[in-house]
Amino acid sequence: MGSNFFINDNQDVLIEILKRLDGRSLGVCACVCKLWCGITRNDSLWEHLCFRHVSPPPEGVRTVVVALGGYRRLYMVCVRPVLNRLRKWRPIGMETDAEIVRRVYWTRHEVELSLSLFCVDYYERVLLGGGG
Amino acid sequence: MPCDQRTFSGKGKMMKEEEQDGGGVDELLAVLGYKVKESDMAEVAQKLEQLERVMGNVQQDNLTFLASDTVHYNPSDLSTWIQSMISELNPQHPFTPNNHPSSLTPPPPQVYDDDSSFDSDLTAIPGKAVFPQIDGPLLNPQSKRFKPSTTEVSSSSSSSSSICIWGGGDNGVRLVHTLMACAEAIQQEEMKLADALLKQIAFLAVSQAGAMRKVAMYFAYALERKIYRLYPPSNPNDFAFTDLLEMHFYETCPYLKFAHFTANQAILEAFANKTKVHVIDFSMKQGMQWPALLQALALRPSGPPSFRLTGIGPPSHDNNSNNAEHLQEVGWRLGQLAESIKVEFEFRGFVANSMADLNASIFDIREGETVAVNSIFELHQLLARPGGIEKGLSVVKDLKPDIFTVVEQEANHNGPVFIDRFTESLHYYSTLFDSLEGGSVGGELGPVSDQDKLMSEVYLGRQICNLVSCEGVDRVERHETLAQWRRRFNTAGFEPVHLGSNAFKQASMLLALFAGGCGYRVEENNGCLMLGWHTRPLIATSAWKLNSVC
Repeated sequence: MGSNFFINDNQDVLIEILKRLDGRSLGVCACVCKLWCGITRNDSLWEHLCFRHVSPPPEGVRTVVVALGGYRRLYMVCVRPVLNRLRKWRPIGMETDAEIVRRVYWTRHEVELSLSLFCVDYYERVLLGGGG
Repeated sequence: MPCDQRTFSGKGKMMKEEEQDGGGVDELLAVLGYKVKESDMAEVAQKLEQLERVMGNVQQDNLTFLASDTVHYNPSDLSTWIQSMISELNPQHPFTPNNHPSSLTPPPPQVYDDDSSFDSDLTAIPGKAVFPQIDGPLLNPQSKRFKPSTTEVSSSSSSSSSICIWGGGDNGVRLVHTLMACAEAIQQEEMKLADALLKQIAFLAVSQAGAMRKVAMYFAYALERKIYRLYPPSNPNDFAFTDLLEMHFYETCPYLKFAHFTANQAILEAFANKTKVHVIDFSMKQGMQWPALLQALALRPSGPPSFRLTGIGPPSHDNNSNNAEHLQEVGWRLGQLAESIKVEFEFRGFVANSMADLNASIFDIREGETVAVNSIFELHQLLARPGGIEKGLSVVKDLKPDIFTVVEQEANHNGPVFIDRFTESLHYYSTLFDSLEGGSVGGELGPVSDQDKLMSEVYLGRQICNLVSCEGVDRVERHETLAQWRRRFNTAGFEPVHLGSNAFKQASMLLALFAGGCGYRVEENNGCLMLGWHTRPLIATSAWKLNSVC
């Protein structure tokens, strides 16, 4: 009957499950054990988190994002705040509250903005942080 | 008078200075029963003249109330008595014989409140005339909203908008009035009076809180420098420090981010389908504007163009800083970034005092390059020298840019009359400081640190100081409104490029992100974008290209 199924023995299943979680849950999972911590640090999981709801998914972004610090950082520094704060914001004459709540997909603008802010963050952190 | 030892301390210290200053009372007047300190003779004389003027201006029937409604003061204390007479006689502004057009009709404040220094037992009681009942939103302490300022370029009338942060009760109102009165005194070159008012300002400012107090202190400091002619300021060429302050300002509030992102959007659109691009930046500083543009170009569907950046920075004036080297460092850092995201990048830096000191040929514009020229809060400095702006704009024209992006403060701080400039800037910076207090969300992750906020205030304070206390070529903070700039650009042969809806959306999102959307407003104005606090626009982004006719 397969009663001895341990998730830790089936990491591909684990990863499939983790792919469907939100950012906060991923963070919680990272605290479960060393194995899970290692798996959740996999940047492709966070790439999936950042852009699984983007329609259409952007091309060529991976090189840039990886160069600027990776998807996990992109999520923490830019994507999460953008999603959180913009969800609560209602642009005048554009969307009703109900529409915002239901909207899961990013717009192109939000993606662009997040990436720009991520780049600024990299510049400040890595290049300006040490000197002048 | 020990000019440079004056400080803004509390009332106590001021009192001590008073006691040490004067000696005994004037003997001759004492014989007649009037107590006047010798040190105050000049002031008393001045005020007597003023009283005479004021009495002459008042209509006959207005004097009758003096018989019934006034409180009578001990006239042997001549100084205070005259002051109270002036106050009660004249509900209008006492310094301009022709009516001052400002709707803030400030009566003279109770200058010598510290009566004990004059041995008077009676404290001056303000009558009806001193605080005229102005109804409506002008002095409404509850209101947190501004009236938009309606400044016309040609008239000498200053904006008549209320400054909501000054709603803090009686003292807040008196503080504004005293500041205005001091500026008016300087305008009339009554420096002793101005100095006395300055002390009053310090006293009143201490009792305020938040934005109100800070703005008052910065303006008072600037007024002091003006009175004692302590200009130019002590560190005119401390560019490294200015850069540092600007970085904190960048973090604290969305103005610079807005400027960069909206300008970048215009440049990005101008660079569509171009493979060789060259950006000439007259506001290089730390190069904070360019990472976002480089990233946007890197992720273009058609791939990134080859990117050249020429940065202009100010020359170093002391042995401690090497600005040419600093520029090269900034260029190097941007180069590192460009390499990481695979954008072909080339940098060149020039030091120059201003755009007007350059020649288009040094930029080495190459065949087939698309040129963009960028100026963030720099252009107004050219107005300090005669012919500066014309020369600067002609240099830009010689570069034949596809787009010229300009961001400037939305205010007229360059009028010919000091008091008008003062009033305008008082409103403007009050709004700005209010937004620093109110819009408390900082970077992506956390709230604004106190240090960031303080540095931002110092950054703005320097502008205030330059604006108020400097003159001639030293006064570089010569802000002008978008309407004024439009006229200049049109005359110089530029035509506007409309910033599209993309820029508007991005700006709106940026604000929602960094300011929770509270208080800040993005406005579209004939193709230009303005960022303001509540109803008052504070900065404006515009884009220009060469007139196709010429």
